Amino acid sequence: MPREAEPSLNEKTFVLQALQEKLRLDGREFDQYRPLELTFGEEYGVAEVSLGKTKVLAKASAEVTVPYPDRPLDGVFQISTELSPMASPAFEVNRPTETEVLLSRLLEKTVRRSGALDTESLCLVAGQKCWSVRVDVHVLSHDGNLIDACCFAVVAALRHFKKADTSIEGGVLTVYTPAEREPVPLGWLHSPFCVTWSVFGEEGDIAILDATRAEEQVRVGSCTISLNRHGEICQIAKLGGTAVEAIALLNCTGIALTKAKELSSYLDGKLAEDAKRRDKSGRAELLTAENDRVTG
Amino acid sequence: MPITIIAPKPARHHFHDSHQTAGSDDESDTSSQQGASLDQEGDIQMLISQSSRPKHSHSQSSQNYNIVTPGEVITSDPQWMRGHGTYMTPQTHNIISSVAGTISRTNKLLSVRPLRARYTPEVGDLVVGRIVEVQAKRWRVDVGGTQLAGLPLSAINLPGGILRKRTETDELQIRTFFAEGDLLVAEVQSLFGDGGASLHTRSLKYGKLRNGVFVAVSGMGGGGGVVRSRRQVWTMEGANNGGLIDIVLGVNGYVWISKHVETAAVVEDNKDNNNKPSVGITNMEEVVSATMYSSQNDKIEVDTMREIARLRGVITALVENGLRVDEDMVVKGYHEAVEMALASEGGPDDVYLGGERGEQLANALTGV
Amino acid sequence: MPLDTSAYNLALLRVDGRRWNELRRIHAQIRTQPAADGSSYLEMGHTKVMCVVTGPSESGARRVGTTGGAAAGALGSGGGGSRDGDAEVVVSVVLAGFSSVDRKRRGRNDKGILELQSTISSALSSSLHTHLYPRSTISISLHVLSQDGSLLAALLNAATLACIDAGIAMTDYVAACTAGSTSTYAANDEKADPLLDMNHQEEQELPGLTVATLGQSDRVIVLVCESRVQVSRLEGMLAVGVDGCKQVRDIMDKVVREKGRRMLEEGAIEKGVGLEDMDLD
Repeated sequence: MPREAEPSLNEKTFVLQALQEKLRLDGREFDQYRPLELTFGEEYGVAEVSLGKTKVLAKASAEVTVPYPDRPLDGVFQISTELSPMASPAFEVNRPTETEVLLSRLLEKTVRRSGALDTESLCLVAGQKCWSVRVDVHVLSHDGNLIDACCFAVVAALRHFKKADTSIEGGVLTVYTPAEREPVPLGWLHSPFCVTWSVFGEEGDIAILDATRAEEQVRVGSCTISLNRHGEICQIAKLGGTAVEAIALLNCTGIALTKAKELSSYLDGKLAEDAKRRDKSGRAELLTAENDRVTG
Repeated sequence: MPITIIAPKPARHHFHDSHQTAGSDDESDTSSQQGASLDQEGDIQMLISQSSRPKHSHSQSSQNYNIVTPGEVITSDPQWMRGHGTYMTPQTHNIISSVAGTISRTNKLLSVRPLRARYTPEVGDLVVGRIVEVQAKRWRVDVGGTQLAGLPLSAINLPGGILRKRTETDELQIRTFFAEGDLLVAEVQSLFGDGGASLHTRSLKYGKLRNGVFVAVSGMGGGGGVVRSRRQVWTMEGANNGGLIDIVLGVNGYVWISKHVETAAVVEDNKDNNNKPSVGITNMEEVVSATMYSSQNDKIEVDTMREIARLRGVITALVENGLRVDEDMVVKGYHEAVEMALASEGGPDDVYLGGERGEQLANALTGV
Repeated sequence: MPLDTSAYNLALLRVDGRRWNELRRIHAQIRTQPAADGSSYLEMGHTKVMCVVTGPSESGARRVGTTGGAAAGALGSGGGGSRDGDAEVVVSVVLAGFSSVDRKRRGRNDKGILELQSTISSALSSSLHTHLYPRSTISISLHVLSQDGSLLAALLNAATLACIDAGIAMTDYVAACTAGSTSTYAANDEKADPLLDMNHQEEQELPGLTVATLGQSDRVIVLVCESRVQVSRLEGMLAVGVDGCKQVRDIMDKVVREKGRRMLEEGAIEKGVGLEDMDLD
């Protein structure tokens, strides 16, 4: 397995000393994100997120399948992450590294287990037909803070995604093409966002947000907090690492909440912008299936 | 809101060993109502009764038993220096224990001996080891430590005389001396900075082991096991026509029990004892090459095998019952075991020393 | 919903009869496996865990024993102690098939287990003095015999005890326990009480988190929350959790001391010098 080159001792102490002087390599504040960019693709459900040099692409897709026998009323929802050698030579195809396992567990807990997507709304015919929604996350470039970027991309892709409209008449399921009926968005309950703190110093007393790759290699611990804008924690993961004062963790959670709110409003703005762009003719309203149901 | 945590409820019943714990707790508990019920119950119960008076229990345990546990501040007095098993925090002068064990002190140096740990090599230790890896110019030997020890090709007696220069042919034939899995007895020659050890077998007392059986017990870490003593190697007479038996107690807790064979080693020993030179550099050649690196066992009589098995049983019984393993204990234990076997139904053939019989043996040795 | 949370408000007693700030019974033993370098057995209520520690020993020995050694490396079973030359902490967790009600078979690559392993490895390497054991491996193998909530906490505690038994130097105990909150995330109930040491039933129904601290300090090594909960409740839960950890540390400490005391009495180890002798100098 090719291994990532470790930073030298000099590099490590340089980064650390700078942090102790309250300076970061790129001149940001400790609680400042790198510039966040979100672009949607032409298709529904494609979101490309870049956070500084970190670049992540998420694509949501849906197909009709048979639900799991133990959950006949729920649809299927899965998130798959792929860290390819494109992002870093340390990653290999088909051989999940620890980073990848932890990343996919985190996304799973943040988005799936917190019930962000209403899986019951994916059910078409109980026990027989349901939607299977799948998000594929591809890391295109890895410059630190993959977790936050991936989580943002997944949420953005799902919020942007529209699945084909369906109808059931007399036990016959019809799936309409976009030409026949305008696709419908997913049943969405809340938008969780991951905010990752990286911890530095022997005593774990320096905490910064949105660490770059160089900073991640030097850090002694990290804590990922997932929140939505309603102030609900969806998960917290401080999986080992150097011990941190409990009070400091609480402060971090407080700041993370404001960050999550910022992320949330940024995403809302972008979604509205994209909807407007697609709706140049102003006729989309009339075409949506939602309209059909209300009037019909 | 002040938050207090209630200790867990005591267990309804406990299985065993109430006497010791209750005994030590009695003085402090006579006044308390729970005192009576405490006597019937085991460890956890006692712990809770102590935790309600943490100050008392702390001073009691540190005075009587001197056990320190990880994270415990041993002293904040700056006059002490920290040794093994301790660490210091950057800002303070506190010396804090990093292992569970007893405090020992050498002048101003404070260290903590762990209750049990892997073997830490020291120069001059006699160790028994097993070859796990053969490299170009050295072997890597498992001696039960945290790292493998190294045995350079240059640190063994080469066949054909002690003064012979190491040649490339020797390097190519390195496996003919020791191969993977071979057992050997050696001495720690030097230590590396990171705690690794380098061995040598440059004495006729050392070298490949054969004709016997290997036992691994815990070594110098404590908790019963081999202790450093004056003699780690001796020969004793086996009972019931057992013949002479060699015992090598490696300081690292690896033990070798074998049939005694008259070889150069013994001859050399005799030389040491009686100042009667029998093997010199001149005639060493034939003696060494004959047996030194043989992997063939000699013929061993059944009686000898039985007594070797009995000795092995004695050593494991000593360890199981938390007693130290040294020459004195093994010899006494062996005689006791022979007596026990004669008294038992199986007669001298009965070499079983596990379970109750092991305890019986240990009790006989400690005089309980 | 099988757990009737309404009863709590009436008597302030939980399903198993505990109050909000009570731990379940913790029973621990060390040195349960004579052949291992370090071993422990721990019960937190009905969660029962066994742990065996091998090492620190050099991995060269593992390479020779071809079975198992290679697999452990390839699976990346939570290698901690990242820096070169320091000891690596390798953790493997096995959930016995009979340990929970549903006999679900978990594969070796189950992500949940991989995450547990990686958490335990990283948590312990932050306390263990891995720099003292260069180029070696500390392998911790944990077996879960019975699960009734607080699994990660029990695993961490058992691993700590086994490492102490193995005589591996560490900064302090890693003590862990869980804390929860009496009402679900949806109920915006400010009066919700925090709960200490959740059992399986409570874990299913109520939000909770696992906390591990470094010894008696307030410093948190592990904080894992897997359920939705209001931010405002975090503080109470964390405070209870941290206090619970201190309690757990005391209990584990007593177990270690008791074992040491008994070994001293048996004469298996030499007596140490007393603190008061030293003060005379």
